[in-house]
Amino acid sequence: MSDRRSELVLATVIAALSALTLFVWIPADIDTGMIETFRRQTFIGDAFLPALSAAGMMLCALIQLVTVWRRAASDRPGPVLDGTTLAFFVGFAVIVAVSLATMFWLGAAVWDVLGDGERTYREMRGTAPWKYLGFAFGGTALVWGTISLIEGRVSAKRLLAAALFVTALIAIFDLPFDSILLPPNGDW
Amino acid sequence: MDPLEYVWAGVLAVFLGPEAFSILGVGIPMTVLMVAGGFLVGIVGGATPGLAGPFLMAVALPILLSVFGFTPDALLPVLGFLIGVMKGATVGGAVPAILFNTPGTPDAMLTTLDGFPMAKKGEADRALRTAHFASVSGDTFSDLVLFTCAPFLAIVVEAYLGFNEKAALIILSLSFVAAVVGSSPMKGLISGFLGLFIASIATGQDNYPRLSLGTETMQSGVPLITAVLGVLILGEVLVAFEEMYRARNRTTIATSDGPQFKSGRLSFADRRRLMPFISISAVIGTIVGALPGIGSTLAATLGYATGERMHKGPVPFGKGTPEGIAATEAANSSVSGSNLIPVLSLGIPGNVAAVFLILAAESIGGFNPGPSVFRFTTEQVNPELVIAFGLFTAMMFANILNWFTGAHIMRACGVMSRVPRQVLLPMVLLVTLAAIYVQETNFGVLYFALAFAVLGYLMRKLRVPTLPFVISFILAANLEEALRQAFAVSNADPFFLFKSPLSVVFLVLSVVVVVFFSRPRREPSEPTNGSDRRST
Repeated sequence: MSDRRSELVLATVIAALSALTLFVWIPADIDTGMIETFRRQTFIGDAFLPALSAAGMMLCALIQLVTVWRRAASDRPGPVLDGTTLAFFVGFAVIVAVSLATMFWLGAAVWDVLGDGERTYREMRGTAPWKYLGFAFGGTALVWGTISLIEGRVSAKRLLAAALFVTALIAIFDLPFDSILLPPNGDW
Repeated sequence: MDPLEYVWAGVLAVFLGPEAFSILGVGIPMTVLMVAGGFLVGIVGGATPGLAGPFLMAVALPILLSVFGFTPDALLPVLGFLIGVMKGATVGGAVPAILFNTPGTPDAMLTTLDGFPMAKKGEADRALRTAHFASVSGDTFSDLVLFTCAPFLAIVVEAYLGFNEKAALIILSLSFVAAVVGSSPMKGLISGFLGLFIASIATGQDNYPRLSLGTETMQSGVPLITAVLGVLILGEVLVAFEEMYRARNRTTIATSDGPQFKSGRLSFADRRRLMPFISISAVIGTIVGALPGIGSTLAATLGYATGERMHKGPVPFGKGTPEGIAATEAANSSVSGSNLIPVLSLGIPGNVAAVFLILAAESIGGFNPGPSVFRFTTEQVNPELVIAFGLFTAMMFANILNWFTGAHIMRACGVMSRVPRQVLLPMVLLVTLAAIYVQETNFGVLYFALAFAVLGYLMRKLRVPTLPFVISFILAANLEEALRQAFAVSNADPFFLFKSPLSVVFLVLSVVVVVFFSRPRREPSEPTNGSDRRST
């Protein structure tokens, strides 16, 4: 179990969100109630399962809240999320955002610049090398960036490992199977 | 068809099914090839610290679906590959545990206690052979129990359980998993209810997709495989990333030099001496595996503790005795077959590996694990039953492969233990995202996957177990359907779930199990996601 404060916050947040879901979201976003009667037939409506789930979550969160509240304050370790967590996730989010943006746009952008001007990237998405550009560079950036973030240093050896790995993936996914589209080619 | 004809049809479906290619005019069946491929991948993955069977199954599933498509012909090759991975990873986990004191899979933790001391004494080969012999013996025993029990249990369930009892049984299973996985039953239940709730989004019987907030993104619902992979695999990857990020300035753990290898072939007398330990542990593992939510780590712990009591040899447990390895490996390996008893007989997955088998079956269609599979119809062929026996055949084929080749592959996989985790896991991240994409071919699902990864991360950090979430998510549709039908046949009786004694028993047990596991108890000392690892 986590520290007492985290447990209390968790239970409170879940109880509050469950209540909000049960009393606001479900009534507003489901057309049938928990039990419906239509043409003299009574049946379980679409709200039944979500309402049951939300009520269950709320009840369990309240029990958890009371249980943790009664627990001694000093018998647990420190908080589960701290400044290091935040620093890691900020760095990781930047790497993921840059990598996915590269993956999505690079092939199309390079084709716009170097292409014949007549055909679109959509027409070229099954043709090498265009179809590999986004995945190769975006994938390498994701793997190398994450390794560098974790290790706290950049290394050419790791870059080579990432590039080789992405090349191997392309060979495994794309070369033997015509039906498989690597990211992002299914979207174009 | 009579029962024996069904069994034979299953065997033929594996060995005379669609050909992958032919060598000198002899066709190689696709299912056989996929089982062998999965087995090899499983051993290599299991021998790589940081990877495990569920990781490999998760990554393989979307790729397999993309390659084989969604036709009935895809069922046996896809399920065969996943079965092969499951079995391979079970034996592979012992390799780094013995050679480098690093368990490849969480359930091989106790193998390090005797395996590594043996390796240090120059008996690495003997330790690996012991682990292999115990593992494959336990696994084969467990499979035989599965083949015998699952059909009978399914027939009983189909014959005696009505809609209300089936609904109550699903509730009991979910309560059990929620209560036993993790340190707090209340958190397990919250996780289970969350799974039910998220599975409700954009489903239901009304024309309006419920809880979709009127948005186009939500109207198609939450993609099942993406959500499961996000929570189970990517969430675990994020936790590992953060742990390594925190530890980056600390001194890395020194790995030992390579162990000394000298031939350690097991004699008949050696094997006979190990058999009592293997037998007891296999029974323990099989019983533990048949219960949903209780994983192979607990089986290994119980097997080891029991073996320690039985042991009277000169080298005590924990100091490098083969009996210690045998007790652990037989117990954790015998979980894998019996884990499938609730899946095949009730349609209820009890662990992560079973989750991926269910996902594969549901995605492809034509095979719905549950009591209806084992209908031995005589006038018409029940194709699901043929697939079930095909699956059993694939499992036995994997076992035979394991008996003859497993030990050799294990010894060759020692090198995998040297792959640094901080390099491996970012690669796992990319493979998982690519695997999700090739199945959905929509970049938007990657955002879904990352969102569920964050959910999985938060659940692990806050010690909310993920397995109840995933199992509830998968069973939500079945539960809702059973509730709707039970309510309808009861003529809208508000106490429809309490109308049969059996269903009352199931519901009472659901409460009892939660209350029982809510008693104050000592907490496990392992960090972060130990609760989930018990069930992988």
